[in-house]
Amino acid sequence: MNPLSPLGLEVGLGLLMLVVLLLGIFRPAVPDRRAGWVSLIGLFSLVALSFAAAPAEAILGGSYVVDALALFAKRLFLVSAAISVLATLSLPSERFARRGAEYHFALLSSLLGMLVLASARDLILLFVAFELMSIPLYFLTGFEKKQDTAPEGALKFFLVGSVSSAILLYGLSFLFGATGSTDIAVIAGAVASGNVLAKFGLVIALAGLGFKIAAVPFHMWVPDTYEAATTPFVAWLSVAPKAAGFIVIFRLYLEGAGSSALVWVPLVSALAAVTIIAGNLMAIPQTNVKRMLAYSGIAHIGYMLMGIAAISASGAGMVLFYLVAYLFGNMGAFLVVQAVGTSEGSDKMDAYKGLAQRSPVLALSLLVFLLSLGGIPFVAGFWAKLFIFRAVVDQHMYGLALLGAVATIVALYYYLVLSSRMYVDEPEQKTPVAVPAPLLLAILICAIGTVVMGIYPEPWVQGVMKAARGLF
Amino acid sequence: MDFPILSLITWTPFLSALIIMAFARHNPLLVRMTGVIGSSITLVASIWLYFNYDHAKAGYQFFEWFPLVPSLGIHYQLAVDGFGLVLTLLTAIILFAGSFASWTVKTRGQEFYALLLLLVTGVFGVFASLDLFVLFLFYEIAVLPMYLLIAIWGSSGEVRPQGVFGWAFKRTGVGTKEYAAMKLTLYLLLGSAFILVGMLALYTAAGSTSFSLLDLQQVKFDPALQSWVFLFFYVGFGVLAGIFPLHTWSPDGHASAPTAVSMLHAGVLMKLGAYGLLRLGFGLTPDGAMQWAWLVGGIACINIVYGALSAMSQKDLKYVVAYSSVSHMGIVMLGMATLTEQGINGSVFQMVAHGIMTGLFFALVGLVYEKAHSRDIFKMGGFATMMPGIATGFVVGGFSSLGLPATAGFVAEFLTFVGAWQSAHSWWLFPGVIGAFLTAIYVLRVVKQIFFGPKSEDPHFQNLPDAQGTEWVALVFLVTILIVFGVFPAIIAGPIDSATVALLNHMGVAR
Repeated sequence: MNPLSPLGLEVGLGLLMLVVLLLGIFRPAVPDRRAGWVSLIGLFSLVALSFAAAPAEAILGGSYVVDALALFAKRLFLVSAAISVLATLSLPSERFARRGAEYHFALLSSLLGMLVLASARDLILLFVAFELMSIPLYFLTGFEKKQDTAPEGALKFFLVGSVSSAILLYGLSFLFGATGSTDIAVIAGAVASGNVLAKFGLVIALAGLGFKIAAVPFHMWVPDTYEAATTPFVAWLSVAPKAAGFIVIFRLYLEGAGSSALVWVPLVSALAAVTIIAGNLMAIPQTNVKRMLAYSGIAHIGYMLMGIAAISASGAGMVLFYLVAYLFGNMGAFLVVQAVGTSEGSDKMDAYKGLAQRSPVLALSLLVFLLSLGGIPFVAGFWAKLFIFRAVVDQHMYGLALLGAVATIVALYYYLVLSSRMYVDEPEQKTPVAVPAPLLLAILICAIGTVVMGIYPEPWVQGVMKAARGLF
Repeated sequence: MDFPILSLITWTPFLSALIIMAFARHNPLLVRMTGVIGSSITLVASIWLYFNYDHAKAGYQFFEWFPLVPSLGIHYQLAVDGFGLVLTLLTAIILFAGSFASWTVKTRGQEFYALLLLLVTGVFGVFASLDLFVLFLFYEIAVLPMYLLIAIWGSSGEVRPQGVFGWAFKRTGVGTKEYAAMKLTLYLLLGSAFILVGMLALYTAAGSTSFSLLDLQQVKFDPALQSWVFLFFYVGFGVLAGIFPLHTWSPDGHASAPTAVSMLHAGVLMKLGAYGLLRLGFGLTPDGAMQWAWLVGGIACINIVYGALSAMSQKDLKYVVAYSSVSHMGIVMLGMATLTEQGINGSVFQMVAHGIMTGLFFALVGLVYEKAHSRDIFKMGGFATMMPGIATGFVVGGFSSLGLPATAGFVAEFLTFVGAWQSAHSWWLFPGVIGAFLTAIYVLRVVKQIFFGPKSEDPHFQNLPDAQGTEWVALVFLVTILIVFGVFPAIIAGPIDSATVALLNHMGVAR
């Protein structure tokens, strides 16, 4: 089979999963890292393959598309997974090394769900892919089962996730009932012709998707889950499934809907506004950096929802741009948390005191990530926010743009508090923070991505606009 | 294209900062010398700029153009008119004095100088940019280093967290100079959020093709849009210019900041706000400006009187100077709001005059603190016999502050008051005059108490030295300029007037 055919990436990932599974079965008595290395090499080859692939015709009767948007999303999922697996190689726990195959197998199967999800244009395929993505995530959250927080976080995540899947399915059942079809193109037509039941189904489905992307008021699971899980996994969890949720929103609400998508403007704007305000305010009192990043991540989801509220090709494209900037910034920040947490044994803010004098590279990287998340010029996040605001202003939603802009100041407050821990405070001990080489490499990849996007955003803008143009 | 003199002025401080971080680390003298040489180059270049500006032709000159993001219409476009010219000169003067005033910074000196120079790059960039987007980028560069400069090298003084941020600070355990730094940074970034949205609104309304000020000036915007965009610019730039009630970051920030940072911030950065409002608010949304002039002027009156009253009630010397800035920035805003030639001339003249005298004041307060290790006015006394040089500087600065003839402050206040009287709201004159009167009270009170009052018995305040060595440079330099500008106001009033006339013609205001 031609490796660049529409299903090439999925088939390749499936083969990789089989290899990892076999490694788990025939593992030596001593703990080893082979599963991790194999996954890493496999993922990097798949990343290369995905960048060589070109958009193709829809297959399986139009229910499986490989358009520019699907391809863009797949690249994003693969890159984020590769960075996460690279960082996972640095995890010190012995137990982890012994169960490495299980961990990587679960992660890859979730990734497979995402790859299929990006291409699904049929409700059943979409839901199956959604579950394939979600279920391994519950397992991965509770992976370090001997730590007492892990089962709690995993259970919370599992219960909320299952309920939200059920709600999503309930909403989708309305769509099928109203239109008699599971084809998303047919559904878009029904919404355009003003079918009330179909609209009702989409509202309910939005609640289900709201849980997945962690928009307020469906965000409760996020901080506890993030705190419980291993940090390299959280870095991935905070980016890839959210991106998948946005791709589903694009497919269900925007694609082919044309001007009838405007009915979602009030709903999505309100959701965006509430998410931005609540996420930022709840981040302020946090003293645990992981929790702070969890809440700030919720606020970032709000900004992306703003881009969707603009209901335009530039709005959707800028959501994708934001996702890429968020991938580098947020994953990078979590990976620095991993480095400091491993060395200091704490994720508290106080562990970051004087980091600039102990490990300048680590501190500078975290500063870059925080500035990017805060939307300061010359790093990726600035352009992301600017483009989102511009898309919103283009639709004359000045109030929403102002709210977003003012909320960035709130966000900068807690980012600055953490920065001043690193740069202003004196360190309690002078020894540098030990960073394993794979983790450092992953951090540097994120930092370089953030800075390059910030200094030269033009090609990235072209890329996302190409991906988003097919939606309208 | 001619020699890129504006880029030279803008980027020399930045290059000096890079050189300091790359080569001069851990060599304090080399760090200081690099800083002084960098600031001297910009000063010489600014003076050259002044003399080579074609004063007869006026308008924008020294164009530089370079495409940055052509698809969005963003270009690196520099040029100065009369306003930009005098404010560039002011910035270079304050930077030169400030680089000498920071001679005594002890800890992490190389980072201090590097951040200070980086900040000044942003200031020069704002005064020279014709592209709104580039102007915004420079604006951010000018604001952000301030956080670290105050949080690391500041002094905690008597600042205590109050109000809505109090609870957040208790929980995150941040100290008091960090409170001032955080407050200042957040206020200013809040302002920039308003500016950004206003800018984007104009940009999209004009067809999303260009961020250039010259292109946008050609567009006649819808009056309703102009109205609210002007308000956004007023709030956004007004925060930085210290308008009441958004001024509270200024006393805390200026009192906590190290000497050179206070000099630059009160002397130059607050002018960025006033300049931005004049250039963007009045220049791009003239209908909005005329519609809201009553608000701008009214709040300016509150600023003048309230700032002066607050300055009167302070015990901390640095707070007196900081509140006097709030009062004097009110005069700047008042002059602008009159929409008359004299008023706007006075406004920009006051930007320069206040920049120099507040720079001088903060340098002096820094010197007094160096010697006496106190900022408490009522503990000190009779210092004139021990430090005649510092006392002289303080008296000259004070006279300028209260508007005595033959100082720059007089020219500025006189022009502004004439403008206020000619404007549609002639009652604005009275708060202005009351402000000048109150200024006399608090300035003379401080001078009398610290320098000429009965000698303090406190053993800490005996046999204090006068200014020494490099400390004289900033002092003598600024005092001289204050008097030169007072005696020969035409030096800067000429270029200012040419730009004012152009602005008023563009706005279509009858003169």
